[in-house]
Amino acid sequence: MKTILVVDDELGSAEVLSLILEEEGYRAFCAVNGQLALIQAREVVPDLVIVDYMMPLMNGAEFSRELRRDPQFSHTKIILNSGLPEVAIRDHFDNYDAFLRKPFKVETLLELVERFVGR
Amino acid sequence: MTSSTTDVGPIERLRSSVPGLDQILGGGLFRTGVYIIQGLPGCGKTILANQICYGHVAEGGSAVYVTLLAESHSRMIQHLSTLSFFDVKAFPDRLAYISAFHELESAGLKGLMTVLRREMRTRKVGVLVLDGLVAASEGASDLDLKKFIHELQSIAVLQDCTVLLLTSGNIHRMAAEHTMVDGLIEVEDTLFDARSERSIHVRKFRGAGPLRGKHSLRIDNDGITVFPRIESLYRGAMQETAGTAAATTGIASLDRLLAIGGVPEASSTVVIGSTGTGKTTMGLQFLHASSADEPGLHLSFFEGPERLRTKARSLGRDLAPLEANGAVELMWQSPGEALLDEIADRLLSAVARRQVRRLVIDGLSGFLESAVYQERITRFFSCLVNELRSRHVTVLMTLETRDVLSSVVSMPWGVSGLVDNLFFLRFVHDEGEVERLLTIIKMRDTDYQAGLRRLRIDSQGMHIAGTYRADGDVIPSAQPVASSEGPAPSPSN
Repeated sequence: MKTILVVDDELGSAEVLSLILEEEGYRAFCAVNGQLALIQAREVVPDLVIVDYMMPLMNGAEFSRELRRDPQFSHTKIILNSGLPEVAIRDHFDNYDAFLRKPFKVETLLELVERFVGR
Repeated sequence: MTSSTTDVGPIERLRSSVPGLDQILGGGLFRTGVYIIQGLPGCGKTILANQICYGHVAEGGSAVYVTLLAESHSRMIQHLSTLSFFDVKAFPDRLAYISAFHELESAGLKGLMTVLRREMRTRKVGVLVLDGLVAASEGASDLDLKKFIHELQSIAVLQDCTVLLLTSGNIHRMAAEHTMVDGLIEVEDTLFDARSERSIHVRKFRGAGPLRGKHSLRIDNDGITVFPRIESLYRGAMQETAGTAAATTGIASLDRLLAIGGVPEASSTVVIGSTGTGKTTMGLQFLHASSADEPGLHLSFFEGPERLRTKARSLGRDLAPLEANGAVELMWQSPGEALLDEIADRLLSAVARRQVRRLVIDGLSGFLESAVYQERITRFFSCLVNELRSRHVTVLMTLETRDVLSSVVSMPWGVSGLVDNLFFLRFVHDEGEVERLLTIIKMRDTDYQAGLRRLRIDSQGMHIAGTYRADGDVIPSAQPVASSEGPAPSPSN
């Protein structure tokens, strides 16, 4: 079973997504900022992280950079998402596998998830 | 031993980039102040706070918008991206939207404070918005909330940050946090019959005297614009009519009836009459007497510029050359749901821009109908007329009466007392003919020839065509009767 970590500071966003992912047969965890997500990631070593960009304490770019630096996550795919357009983010961080502009449809996300980690 | 001393001057202001807001705050929010912006959902407080953030970012600063239980960030960005001040380049270095609800839920106000303090320090923000004070205050005691705000004030001073707390809490309830903050700004959207009008009211503002009372507020693609109530904006001393220099009415034969050869400069004249009596014509001739030295402005609520140009041409007065050399400007104002103070602002800005000396307001009822508070009208006009007088503008206004062939005319409440000069135009039946008559009812401080004058309008324009001698069965009353029983125009006898 593939492991996915959903990181979002907004109430409900991460929880709702992780529930849907569980229904789809994935093992899902969630965190509300980059700092907590890093601790969680080291415990569960996810195959995929779905991470929001703007968050308190540690944002999605800072979290993803930390992830990319750590060899134990060399196989981990990153889907970055934000209410901002991709162009506003790429100058600050572009080492992600996919970008999703919020709000997105769950089918769009699930297609991406399947493409990256299978079912 | 080392010591550091700095001169302590007045607290700097934060320029808000919300047109009119700094004006009602007497210069803007104080930097390092903690302010509550309060209003029911949908009143515009989110746009107001965002506009302040983006304005600060545009000036080179940085800001952070912290939500608790508010609309989602992606939805907020979608909504804001339609507004002209939205700047995607501000993200993420100079502007960020973050949620601190998790910290509030898991560690209470202490956890929330940790996030706010950290955001202020690491991002070095000049503006911090906390959207959802109601969520923060739930479950907290009054003392906890007061301590929270006190701590926020201390951090705001240390970090040189202005803090805006947004809440949909009950406006009329005396809340503990109200006593602590540096200012309390209310935003309202009030329904007047089928029409609604937004307003802003600075209830508390430490350190300065804001313009008191409610001020109109508009939200459009440029975000929020505040229109200070002109009674509070122009509350200076009464301006006396300047000198006895004359300004021509644009009608030579009418000037000859006036002792100084025209109306006094910087005076205000109302031309009252029913439809078709020649009020707009008189206004156009007054306008046509404008020049580069005496620029003219025509504000019309009903007839558009093209119709006015055609009408002026039919009177032998071509406005085109005057418009081309900047001596005349035609300004049309939709009589739709314009805000009273917005129209006044537009008018006074146009007067200032071209240093206008001759102004025609064609259709005073356009102003009257824009007022949601009819009881304001007298004070509003008094301030407007006074301000125009102080700017040395000679004003001619037209006002339509309801009755076409009545001998008794009612004046809208208070208008006669506000203006210097009053001309009355009317129709009379005379041996099967309908004639136009002019009566000069009042000229303040200058002499004039009273009596009934025949008025003719032809291809040469409007002119006086002798004295009218009634036989007694046509005009029982030659005087308009002031309606003094309330704001609504109503016939009286």
